[in-house]
Amino acid sequence: MSYENKILQMKKLLGKKKEVKEETKPKYQKPSQPIYVKNWEDAGLTLIENDFGVLFKREVRYPLDFKHGKVYLRSFFHAVDMWHNSNIDHPFSIDSNERVIFFDTETTGLKGVGTYIFLIGLLEFCDKEFVLTQYVLADPSNEAAFLFESKFWKQQATIVTYNGKSFDWPQLETRWTMNQNVLPKLKQMRQIDLLHSTKRLWKNNLERMKLTLVEEEKLGFKRIGDIPGHLAPIIYLDAVKSGNAQSLMKVLYHNEWDLLSLVTLYSISTNLLLEDEIQDSAITHTNIGKWYGDLKYEEKAQNVLYNVTDNFNDHEAGNAYFLLAFQQKRKSFYKEAAISFEKSLLTIEPPQKLKALEQLAMLYEHQFKDFQNALEYTQKGLALLENHYFLKEQQKVKAKEKWYKRYNRIEKKLSTLLNVTVD
Amino acid sequence: MFSKKRSIDELLQEWRYDEELKQSIVHWQTLEGRPAQYAPFPEQLHPSIEKALQSRGIEQLYTHQRDAFDHALNGQSFTAVTPTASGKSYCYHLPVLQKVLEDSSSRALYLFPTKALAQDQKSDLNNLIEAMDEEILSYTYDGDTAPAIRQKIRKAGHIVITNPDMLHSGILPHHTKWVSLFENLKYIVIDELHTYKGVFGSHVAHVIRRLKRICAFYGSDPIFICTSATIKNPKELAEKLTNTKHELISKSGAPVGKKTFIFYNPPIVHPTFGVRRSAILEVRDLATRLFEAGIQSIVFAKSRVRVEMLVTYLKGLTKNKIKDESIRGYRGGYLPTERREIEKGLRDGEIQIVVSTNALELGVDIGQLQACIMTGYPGNIASAWQQAGRAGRRQDSALIIYVAASTALDQYVVNNPMYLLGSSPEEALINPENILILMDHLKCAAFELPFSMTETYGEFEVQELLAYLEEEGILVKTSSNWYWMSERFPAHDISLRSAAQENVVIVDQTIPAATKVIGEMDTYSAMTLLHEEAIYLHQGTQFQVEKLDWEEKKAYVREVDVDYFTDANLAVELKVMSEDLTKPYKSCQVSYGDVSLLAIPTIFKKIKFSTHENIGSGPIHLPPHEMHTNATWLTFDLPENWSEEMLTDSLTGVAYAMQSFVPLFIQCDRSDLSIVPQVKAVHNKKPTLFIYDSYPGGIGLSEKVYDIIDPLLRHTYNHVYSCPCQHGCPSCIGAQDLSSQGKEQVLKILTILMNESM
Repeated sequence: MSYENKILQMKKLLGKKKEVKEETKPKYQKPSQPIYVKNWEDAGLTLIENDFGVLFKREVRYPLDFKHGKVYLRSFFHAVDMWHNSNIDHPFSIDSNERVIFFDTETTGLKGVGTYIFLIGLLEFCDKEFVLTQYVLADPSNEAAFLFESKFWKQQATIVTYNGKSFDWPQLETRWTMNQNVLPKLKQMRQIDLLHSTKRLWKNNLERMKLTLVEEEKLGFKRIGDIPGHLAPIIYLDAVKSGNAQSLMKVLYHNEWDLLSLVTLYSISTNLLLEDEIQDSAITHTNIGKWYGDLKYEEKAQNVLYNVTDNFNDHEAGNAYFLLAFQQKRKSFYKEAAISFEKSLLTIEPPQKLKALEQLAMLYEHQFKDFQNALEYTQKGLALLENHYFLKEQQKVKAKEKWYKRYNRIEKKLSTLLNVTVD
Repeated sequence: MFSKKRSIDELLQEWRYDEELKQSIVHWQTLEGRPAQYAPFPEQLHPSIEKALQSRGIEQLYTHQRDAFDHALNGQSFTAVTPTASGKSYCYHLPVLQKVLEDSSSRALYLFPTKALAQDQKSDLNNLIEAMDEEILSYTYDGDTAPAIRQKIRKAGHIVITNPDMLHSGILPHHTKWVSLFENLKYIVIDELHTYKGVFGSHVAHVIRRLKRICAFYGSDPIFICTSATIKNPKELAEKLTNTKHELISKSGAPVGKKTFIFYNPPIVHPTFGVRRSAILEVRDLATRLFEAGIQSIVFAKSRVRVEMLVTYLKGLTKNKIKDESIRGYRGGYLPTERREIEKGLRDGEIQIVVSTNALELGVDIGQLQACIMTGYPGNIASAWQQAGRAGRRQDSALIIYVAASTALDQYVVNNPMYLLGSSPEEALINPENILILMDHLKCAAFELPFSMTETYGEFEVQELLAYLEEEGILVKTSSNWYWMSERFPAHDISLRSAAQENVVIVDQTIPAATKVIGEMDTYSAMTLLHEEAIYLHQGTQFQVEKLDWEEKKAYVREVDVDYFTDANLAVELKVMSEDLTKPYKSCQVSYGDVSLLAIPTIFKKIKFSTHENIGSGPIHLPPHEMHTNATWLTFDLPENWSEEMLTDSLTGVAYAMQSFVPLFIQCDRSDLSIVPQVKAVHNKKPTLFIYDSYPGGIGLSEKVYDIIDPLLRHTYNHVYSCPCQHGCPSCIGAQDLSSQGKEQVLKILTILMNESM
């Protein structure tokens, strides 16, 4: 209750507006510098000034043979070359003509217009080396200066991020709108969100898609002395309130690692997608096959899946067989499809298993006219439905109805056939 | 059972000669209908709108609709006071559609107090737009809106229909996603203005100040259009809510059908104690008569419990029919799908009787019914008329029956019919100055846009408050502005609807494997309604609370079948923190100021259904509820030769009688204001009667009481004095022992409190 008490004391402070003052909108007034400029400079930041005010900057250059984790930065160019030679129009391919900016921000909160971006990190290739540029918001009144310096109003580029499509970029748009009276318009950019590709590649393989986890598992990079990302807001707020930027520098290092990992993650992901050799688990390569299938590169999809079934045992390749079977069926290779479905049954999860059994029942009923086998697969499907809980009650009732219908139909066909034979 | 369909007029003809009814009908009055008053379509009216209206058979406007159109086109914010079914929505649809047709970049925002009303209006509006054959996009935007279309609504919706809660936490804090709305906002429509009173209204007043601030940022200056049911101060309320000058349209041109009012007082069953037959049982019998005559009716009851009791009783009428749904309950706490289903059943005529709390006073579209029964006085004239307005189909006769309960106010109203039929309704009060509410929204406002060093907020000077927020570490101050600097998302911490920020979720665990949430309740009510062993009623089904997890705010209930309900007591202690106003009376002192309150639920009683006798009790173990609020209090000296016990009893009687009459003067929910006597008040050790706002920080009600204390006391004295009972009864000072001198003593105390001699 002490909060309420305090607030009630405030009653005395509450005044009523005296009269309406007609204020003409003043032109943009350059805000003054915060009092802690010196402190922040001492911590390693550089003050810069533009027409809209001040901001801080930090720059680091990396030679192409810089190794982050197990990967060289130069591998990025190899990745771009691979796309160029692949003739695949993939949502993640990058053309050598494109200007690419790896982009990551840190913010004071998670959502809403009261959340500020306080750190914009950009990593781009520039004159034979990678250049990291970090801009730091000096204080909220200098926000226009901070955003302006990013030059996102000026040059067209492809923005590569991790979860940037739904977080960093919309946040930037929000901040830009808040300053729309002052700033030139923000350009529309091509977005490549590596969180999306990471999910496609490593679904069911990585437990979570947190960047630090991906680094450890896939990029061979382990952070030492990193601050957890969720502390970043508090650290910035403290730096503004106390004027001390010691801890803030740790947020900058954190952001730096994020950006370096984006480069190597892009390279590794491209390699996985385009190299024929097996580099990762069966699950990962199966995921790749599925992705190509969804993108309608069916031949590529099949190659990848065959590669899985050739290189892994049937136990590991269950899902690959399952996906492959659909491809084969679509091409009317019914026998092959049936074999693949049968092989997949060993390991796939119940929901897929139910689909595989359905496909098998259909193949045996309609293509092979083998009603005995069709009936057996139908029985297996019904048993699976009975003993598992992956469907909601209502769906289960519907599914059962469908399966029983199939069962009765096949049984009827079978008995007609037997009668005919007897006659 | 023998039954025959009859019209209202036929039924009334029968009732006139019904000896049994005659004894209880105190007053019978017919209000004749009134023909419509029309005005021609405005010249500027867009041909497409005209076409759509004509396709609905409308060739001219009611006068109030025309006035509305003219005001809007003159750029003037206005408030239209219109009765139920008077075509009020055209008051805003026409100017809004006109604007969008003239300039398709124009935008309008519609605010309805609930999601349900927003849904109704959307379908109504879309039908109109369809008939116009124009490309105008209108959408509801609330918690149920699918994420996939949200983007489209933000960018392209001409008319966005939402509720204050969504505006508060889903739109304003994300205003950059709504640039095209805020840059081009021409109209803000606030329907059901009269519902924005008390705590909720005070919150919404701030949401609107924030909205206006954001509009100013994007360079728009929208016109406000409000529509309201009849209250005493619509213009003042609109102006206070929107902080904008309003014109008032008070004359409706819509036709009114014949209405027959019956004032019904249940017979006295125990003359000495002045005990009357229970109003609920009388209503059950009257509703049965209507049901058998085939008349579609709505029965209003004041509390959730009473709604459920009546539903239980009435369902007895259909218990022999399988799956019969012609009798239903309707109240807050039901899930939305259930409510939609009931509304539809009423429109289709499948439901013949609905028993409702005041939830159906609002403009929820259930069509017009034939008869309305009010179980007890709804607390104020405005509500009574709203409820009565539910009956009456166009030109048909409507029947409204008011059944008085035994409370003082109910008895006053039934014996003074002209109070209801002849006087103007009450004021609706809001208090945007409540410092707690203001601070909450100041935080939200600072989150939404930084404050400059010279900026005001609404009508308030807030620089010192902003400095306080900086001290609290929520804002930072730069050379020019105050900026939000916290990870928090302030709108999420603030609920517009209740003092308690959290609701208790009610979980049905009758079937352990399939537990389900069946409703929710605010924490303050939960203390007395969802304590362990309480009987909670939901759609006529009884549930017993098995466990109340106060930490997690969950009540676990199980279906039971018992013949009693429960009623809980709340013990309250008050401390005066500061005295802002005071005036000496003849033999007492009246003061107003800040108080601190401690409420502890103590025991509950089990009360038998049919006889309402007490059949058991038990303790309630819950932590006390602490609150700071405003109060008006009356202090006096213990009369000579009085024992403390005498004082306790008579003060309780005084509080009982006074509490009943507060709603005669101020429109508020009964629970918004409480009266608590203290035999020895903590601050002065003297007998004191506290009248306080039941919301932290107060909402201006008790301050009003300070002003009207004289007429309030006079009214109370007269009522108690002229009550026909001997020793005091539920209609005046509450039930008393036979031997008691209660009534005399209460009158004695009231004389002490009054500033005049009787």
